[in-house]
Amino acid sequence: MADLYSDHHRWLRAWLYRRLNCPHDAADLAQDTFVRAMGSSALPVIEEPRAFLATVARRLLSNLFRRRALEQAYLEELGRLPEHCMPSAEDVLLVREALAQIDRLLDGLPARARHAFILHRLEGLTQPAIAERLGVSLASVERDLRRAFLHCLSEPSE
Amino acid sequence: MSRLPIDRVTREAIDWLLKLERAPAGSPMQSAFDCWLRRCPTHQLAWQRVNAVMAAPLADLQQAEQRTPGQLALASRSLRELPTTSRRKVLGGGLAMLLVGLGSAGIAHRRTPLDDLLADLHTGTGERRAFTLADGSRLRLNARSAVDLRFNASQRLVVLRAGELQVDVTPEPGRPFIVATAQGQVQALGTRFSVRQDEGDSLVAVQQHSVLLITGNAAALRVEEGQAFRFDGLRSEAVAPSLRTRAGWAEGRVDVRDEPLGELIEALRPYRAGLLRVSPQAARIRVYGSFPLDDTERTLLSLSETLPIRVDSLGSWLTRIDVI
Repeated sequence: MADLYSDHHRWLRAWLYRRLNCPHDAADLAQDTFVRAMGSSALPVIEEPRAFLATVARRLLSNLFRRRALEQAYLEELGRLPEHCMPSAEDVLLVREALAQIDRLLDGLPARARHAFILHRLEGLTQPAIAERLGVSLASVERDLRRAFLHCLSEPSE
Repeated sequence: MSRLPIDRVTREAIDWLLKLERAPAGSPMQSAFDCWLRRCPTHQLAWQRVNAVMAAPLADLQQAEQRTPGQLALASRSLRELPTTSRRKVLGGGLAMLLVGLGSAGIAHRRTPLDDLLADLHTGTGERRAFTLADGSRLRLNARSAVDLRFNASQRLVVLRAGELQVDVTPEPGRPFIVATAQGQVQALGTRFSVRQDEGDSLVAVQQHSVLLITGNAAALRVEEGQAFRFDGLRSEAVAPSLRTRAGWAEGRVDVRDEPLGELIEALRPYRAGLLRVSPQAARIRVYGSFPLDDTERTLLSLSETLPIRVDSLGSWLTRIDVI
């Protein structure tokens, strides 16, 4: 296990650096990758350690990019607010965390079901209102919302 | 990481939640639901489980909403703007690189608008560059700027697509040097001037000798050294000297002479990747001094030490400036 770290740590950092272009992010993500990899049950039988590490790192990378894209979207929205509507710094953090949690929860849900569920839960829109907004039938909205509930409830707690 | 199976009772609870919501008040469906709920403790548990979906982040959003209305709608828009992904496909590997690509394109957007990547010369956030053009003229680009070069036998045309430039023109009889913005054209008559593309209008400032400004149908206007004009495609008007007309950025600083803080912050924006918010009260505070552009962190710190303002940062992505 210590070998995995000492043999491949530098390589992984370089691999991540090429994708992130930031030495600090690369170092952080390399660390996270080893933590995940060492906690993995697949570990004792790794034949291709670098391919395995790259798989783990790739997943962390896509999570990171996803989270950044979400924060960027939120940032753009904040930027459009007039000054008196700006939330406090504490609330910005609170909302940012909540957004990340919701996005993780909805990960993998098809786009229409995702939109319907967000309108339903966050904006409190009724099913007919969602149907109108998305231009689909009421039955489709009901199906989408049911699917979203099932999706969230079947989320394995990691 | 495989998903958990959902039992029948939980499915029933979801159906109830969706049905009840559509039922009018006092509908018989309400009593039918009450019966279902009371029939068995597992029903109650299932009902709680379904109602607890997303409850924790929603409660946080509602708290923020109470303090500043509009947060829920804003959160909803942010979430709906993102493309959907499937984690399982990502794990498969094939989509991973595609996703990474999409992600970085989304992030890169604020830092370098995609259109400008196609420009002949461009700079990103916090990046200032100097170029020697084919005719020997020197072109400086401020941060987040882009130009296209269209040089031919009869003219030297520089199209400013975004941001700000300054040129030191090498005279060449018979081949005028022209900087074009969305609102007009500036033709060099002498050596040094700067042009800035803003939203909806442009600004020309002459640091040495003079230029000819052409905007809309108005007659060409000669702008002399030390003068500056704003033009919008219809007309132009003289503007007083300010940190914008001094083009201090070309030397990596911004020179402020008793001007509002808001103007100084505008000049710092292209040098910061995150969002910079300044309250209207803070924006009105008068500032005097010369500030480095390449270390905006230090500039903000020194401002907060000398002015009655507070600077809060949330990581690198949001900085807020307000009066104390």
